[in-house]
Amino acid sequence: MDVSQYLDIFIDETNEHIQSLSDSIMELEKEPDNMDTVNEIFRAAHSLKGMAGTMGFKRMQHLTHDMENVFQEVRSGNVSVNSELIDILFNCLDAIEKYLETVKATSDEGTEDNEVLIKKLNDYLNSAEGGDGEAAPAEDAAPAEEAKSDDAADGDAAYLSIPVDDEGRGKLSAAVDAGQKLYGFTVHIHPDCLLKAARAFLVFKAIEDFGEILIYHPSSQDIEDENFELTFNMIVASTSDDMDGMIKAITAVSEIESVESGEVTPDTYAEKAEAAPAEEAPAEAPAAAPAPAASAAPAPAAAKQSAPAANAGKAAKPVTARTVRVDIEKLDSLMNQVSELIIAKNSLVSISSTEGGSFDNQTFHEQIEYLERITTGLHESVMKVRMVPIESTVNKFPRMIRDLSRKLGKPMELYMSGEETELDRTVVDQIGDPLQHLLRNSADHGIESPEVRKERGKPEQGSIFLNAFQEGNNVIIQVRDDGNGIDTDKVKAKAVERGIVSPEEAENLSKKDIINFLFMPSFSMAKEITDISGRGVGLDVVKSNIEALGGDVEVKSEFGKGSVFTVRLPLTLAIIQALMIEVRDEKYAIALGSISNIENISKSEIKYVQAKEVIHLRGMVIPLIRLDELIEAEPKEEESDNLIVVIVKKGDSLAGIVVDNLIGQQEIVIKSMGKVIDNNKLISGATILGDGEVALIVDANALF
Amino acid sequence: MSEANLLDTVEEEKKQYIVVTIGSEQYGLDIAFVDNIVRMQKITRVPKSLPHYRGVINLRGEVVPVMSIRRKMGLEDDVFTKASRIIILKLEEQGNVGIVVDEVKEVVSLGQDDIDQNTRNTNREDANFINGIGKNGDSLISIFDINKVVDESDYI
Repeated sequence: MDVSQYLDIFIDETNEHIQSLSDSIMELEKEPDNMDTVNEIFRAAHSLKGMAGTMGFKRMQHLTHDMENVFQEVRSGNVSVNSELIDILFNCLDAIEKYLETVKATSDEGTEDNEVLIKKLNDYLNSAEGGDGEAAPAEDAAPAEEAKSDDAADGDAAYLSIPVDDEGRGKLSAAVDAGQKLYGFTVHIHPDCLLKAARAFLVFKAIEDFGEILIYHPSSQDIEDENFELTFNMIVASTSDDMDGMIKAITAVSEIESVESGEVTPDTYAEKAEAAPAEEAPAEAPAAAPAPAASAAPAPAAAKQSAPAANAGKAAKPVTARTVRVDIEKLDSLMNQVSELIIAKNSLVSISSTEGGSFDNQTFHEQIEYLERITTGLHESVMKVRMVPIESTVNKFPRMIRDLSRKLGKPMELYMSGEETELDRTVVDQIGDPLQHLLRNSADHGIESPEVRKERGKPEQGSIFLNAFQEGNNVIIQVRDDGNGIDTDKVKAKAVERGIVSPEEAENLSKKDIINFLFMPSFSMAKEITDISGRGVGLDVVKSNIEALGGDVEVKSEFGKGSVFTVRLPLTLAIIQALMIEVRDEKYAIALGSISNIENISKSEIKYVQAKEVIHLRGMVIPLIRLDELIEAEPKEEESDNLIVVIVKKGDSLAGIVVDNLIGQQEIVIKSMGKVIDNNKLISGATILGDGEVALIVDANALF
Repeated sequence: MSEANLLDTVEEEKKQYIVVTIGSEQYGLDIAFVDNIVRMQKITRVPKSLPHYRGVINLRGEVVPVMSIRRKMGLEDDVFTKASRIIILKLEEQGNVGIVVDEVKEVVSLGQDDIDQNTRNTNREDANFINGIGKNGDSLISIFDINKVVDESDYI
């Protein structure tokens, strides 16, 4: 049965089950007696096992089967839940996730058996059944095994570490018994070579003059199909001693870059096979053979991507496409709007054909307005289709905080709200890392040790909050902790020590300026480097990642009480509502989301504070920004008495942009300006107007 | 040496160049880099960009930066006429970049023999952007080194 068409669904659903397992296991840790949770876990594990089985992923099935066994025992009350078990279960989940990653990259589960984990699960079961709740301490099993298989793969030359199956070994020994010598070759093809398969064929042809090629790696089928990178390996049995001659013959083929070779024995491969049984995969199995469900032991499907191939496959593109699950209602409304669009188009067509091209009648304008309404609605619907809740990204955080809490020995709890807040799929995918950095930061640097917390009169358990909500055209995600807060004096001292500012300058810095030092590259406050944070690559990466998405980060902190990191992200990326303005004869767009209001101000209302122009408006002092000076436009001959000021906001602060003329509101499509010209902060992009002209988009956030 | 290779070498012997005039001189652009040639149109100035960039244009819905090769070579500024064209270059790293030329004349095929590479005798400012002088009949064509022309590493 060919199951590859179900791969996408499998990956999607496995992700969901892993997440629900992770959630439930967290819950189980808190309430070990809650039978509903246990049942939930059992169901999820069971579905996972079933799906892995259907897809022919034996190793994954094996692992989930043993997990299911444990849950079965928990359910029937034979085994009690303790943190040891929870740790093992989380390790198992990690292993399953690793399988899934491999599946995503290569459409195969890989060759990791995770025997250590399985053994641990069974040991736990046995010991628990024997009335002894003690289980082996949870060690990281997976990395150990990985290291082992890495060792095997990283032999000197590649031909020494190619996987050879029993049949192949038989061939090798037979050749030796017949008095022939074995030579291993690794052939590197020139990167510019276009016909790799043809070159390989010529190499084989040349070698066959000397002896017989016993083992091909990748398989001869794969080589024929050009299913290999720039190198291939082979083992040749020959009666001659003339290895140099063979090398010469190979390099005589054009576009062959280099050859590594040496004499080998069947033992070379026998040892390898024992050291890493996981890599044992029939090298010559037919490439497209789907896994026959009945056969046990190393799945033949693994032959297609045997271990070294899987390693090389890391760089290759994942085989699955990125998908969004769409609510059928959203699709229905999209369909409706498209129908309306067609109706609108038809009426326009009929107007143009019946009235001989005189376009200034009322029906025509009504139709244009109708069309405008539809396209706006259509845009919104399409954006909504792209929107997904941030849930999928933030769901892994409770587990992460739990692990950190145990690792750091500081009790803490993560409280999340607003997981249902929706953002563009691209943003949701990329916001995970920055948020993770911020949370780790809070857990590591923010939350104090229980002793200190007690002294300060705080509850021993630290709290970290992750809140998400929508505000206008932005989504705000806040990471807040009730920990130590930022010690501005320390940061200041560090900045002086690093020579970023002089001691005198440091005295005059505002709290905000000082906190901003934390976002500078390689400015870490941690006294020692831990593997959690403190390598000095944290906050500056957070900042640049978020800025790349068109957002920004703000920090507020009170020493001793805690800090708040506020991440502000744009709702949509591609199309925005904008106010078109004019400065001299140039047109610019300002995103409507950042505009608070528009004022007409007479010249006499401009006041000066510290030699800078401000206006006093309804009790607020707002600095004025002359856009014409910023964009270096030609100076005006005579300034009119009335100024048009567009008031923009960023967070709590306001600024007034002086413009020459307002054109109106318009929906614009944001285009990138190409790398060579895109090195200026003031302009965030360009858009194409109705008449084909290019207008630039002013980034109001950059004005502050 | 296989047949495919022989064919390659035959084809590589001659390269096609688009011949343009800038000022009183003729310049050649390797056709492999040229994506498109468009008529002069409104160029939107981009504030605070590099001085030799005139701005951006709308190329069928894409925004493409346009450079003045005259400004970059230190010649007097462009005067747009009916013959002025924007040549859109397709580059791997920078994407599309347009350059303004006074006139597009013709396409010529030049072999390696027709191109004189040892032209280090000039001290003109634009010498850096030229990697050879092509001889086409009586006229001489300075061949642009496209990668040098669009290289901004000295500016950014």
